[in-house]
Amino acid sequence: MRNMKKYLARRLLEVIPILLFISILIFVILNAMPGDPLLQMRMENPRAFAGDPEALDRLRAHYGLDQPVYVRYGVWLQNMLQGDLGYSSAYRVPVLSLLQSRIPNTLILTVTAWLIGLVLALPIGIYSALKKYSPFDFMATGFAFVGISLPHFWFALMAIIIFSVHLGWLPISGMSTYGITGTWEIFWDRARHLVLPACILGFVQVAYWVRYIRTALIEVMNMDYIRTAYSKGITRKKVIFKHALKNALIPIITILALDIPYFFGGAVIVETVFSWPGMGRLMYQAVLASDHNLAINCLIFLALVTLMSNLLADILYAFVDPRIRYN
Amino acid sequence: MPATRKIEVGEPVHIATYWQLVWRQFRQHRLALIGGIIFLFLIFFTLLGPYFVPYEYEDMNFMAIFAPPLTEGHPLGTNELGQDVLIRVMHGGRISLLVGFVAAGLSVSIGTIIGLLSGFFGGKVDRVLMRLVDVMLSIPMFPVLLTLTLVFGSGLRNVIIVLALFGWMGVARLVRGTTLSLRETEYVQAATALGARSVGIIIRHIFPNVLPIIIVSATLNISFAILAESSLSYLGLGIQPPVPSWGNMLQNSLNYMLGTAHGVSPWWLTFFPGFFIFLTVLNINFLGDGLRDALDPKVMKK
Repeated sequence: MRNMKKYLARRLLEVIPILLFISILIFVILNAMPGDPLLQMRMENPRAFAGDPEALDRLRAHYGLDQPVYVRYGVWLQNMLQGDLGYSSAYRVPVLSLLQSRIPNTLILTVTAWLIGLVLALPIGIYSALKKYSPFDFMATGFAFVGISLPHFWFALMAIIIFSVHLGWLPISGMSTYGITGTWEIFWDRARHLVLPACILGFVQVAYWVRYIRTALIEVMNMDYIRTAYSKGITRKKVIFKHALKNALIPIITILALDIPYFFGGAVIVETVFSWPGMGRLMYQAVLASDHNLAINCLIFLALVTLMSNLLADILYAFVDPRIRYN
Repeated sequence: MPATRKIEVGEPVHIATYWQLVWRQFRQHRLALIGGIIFLFLIFFTLLGPYFVPYEYEDMNFMAIFAPPLTEGHPLGTNELGQDVLIRVMHGGRISLLVGFVAAGLSVSIGTIIGLLSGFFGGKVDRVLMRLVDVMLSIPMFPVLLTLTLVFGSGLRNVIIVLALFGWMGVARLVRGTTLSLRETEYVQAATALGARSVGIIIRHIFPNVLPIIIVSATLNISFAILAESSLSYLGLGIQPPVPSWGNMLQNSLNYMLGTAHGVSPWWLTFFPGFFIFLTVLNINFLGDGLRDALDPKVMKK
């Protein structure tokens, strides 16, 4: 147990330099971006700048935009560590409050999608592996191929056309309907808005997971100890649940954690298609509005999610597999 | 022909080469064969198809706007300007396939070179390059692509550059892994002992053996590039109209998806471009899967 704590601490420490490196990379890239936020400001509010040619330079100095990139990075990093994420030029509010209002929405979407993916992929993958080369297995493999090849956004658009436009069963976009009251009614309304985006985000991952789970289980089923178990006269049910599944779960759990970032990445498209007010759509809008600071923070958040998922996968891996020592 | 047969003295014996074995293996993979054929068909469809359609992709016909599919002269219907969807799908396909092939070619080349260097020289080179791979993989791909297209600007050339810059890491890892194990093989050690130069060894002994991996990665990279290009164009950051691409046709269809002034929802504007993306990517994936099995000497039968 003490080893586990040490291991955790070391892994957490390893995250810091990587995150730093990523932040530098992102900062440099974003500064190379065309689109000057101050010129944007003047364009949006020309009257405030009229008759004052030095206003632009004053503002540049005021915001520190006349400093070289590395100085700005240093200042930014210092503020960041003190919990000051800066100001969004597009939304005219602090970035932190924007993130605070958007992250929960994205979490609702991604967690639901992750659960949908899990609930579908696990039984399909396991059954497919146990009935290898059966009609069910062929169907499942076929569906997996289809899922991997589907463009997210087209899938989403077709679903909107079918379920929202033609059948009128589900709302077209957004997260809630304005003016609904009552706990139960609000819950029902939210759920209806969540169905399409969460399903689409989840289905795409189901395709990958089914293939992965199937391969993992088939690999275990070919192991010597499974043959030994059979030859000892243990029933098929017991062999599968006590020996095979337990061992196949090790790589499966790892991939379930490792793939968490894909949900956040996919959320950019899905949230944009469905106008879901989350992180992904926020990021897209930040990039479109050349709101550098907001975009940086969104990317760093995504990088943080990725690093934490990797860490979680490692820990889970060590946790479920007693053969692994933390040193 | 009987399964076994005595070979006469002096009879020429046919020994299958590696590539003949690969073809034999590949042919048995029914799905991959069909995938390959459909993919070839799609290439011909986009390249030669426009010569059989009596319109250009920018031709407008205001007498026939929003014509549904199977209308006379417009098998896939027309859009809000009366432009033929079929010809636009064909031209869009040219762009998508061009982006797919060029971006995959570039990213696989970068990945191969980095993987070979990293695996062969090991040590510090390896550590630095693989750290770079780790870091680049630790940010979700799509948000990064999104940001980069804004740095580089949109348009055909820039989309290809961005996809190439962010598609090489997987290939590099695979090639490095194989190179590491190949470096320890006896024939490579023999070549080293005989005084062969590193570059020569890499080109003559290692590269041919990582080629199968490279081919499989290349097919999968094509499908990735096609999907990514269409997503970027869909977000308005990729190929810009009036040049049609499958992605920007979908982007355009958004304006009419919920119904037009005529009260109909022209579903065909959304359906066809996406369906062709799907068809192309699906068949490339089938092809790649078959190639993976066929090129792997371990799976090779007899």
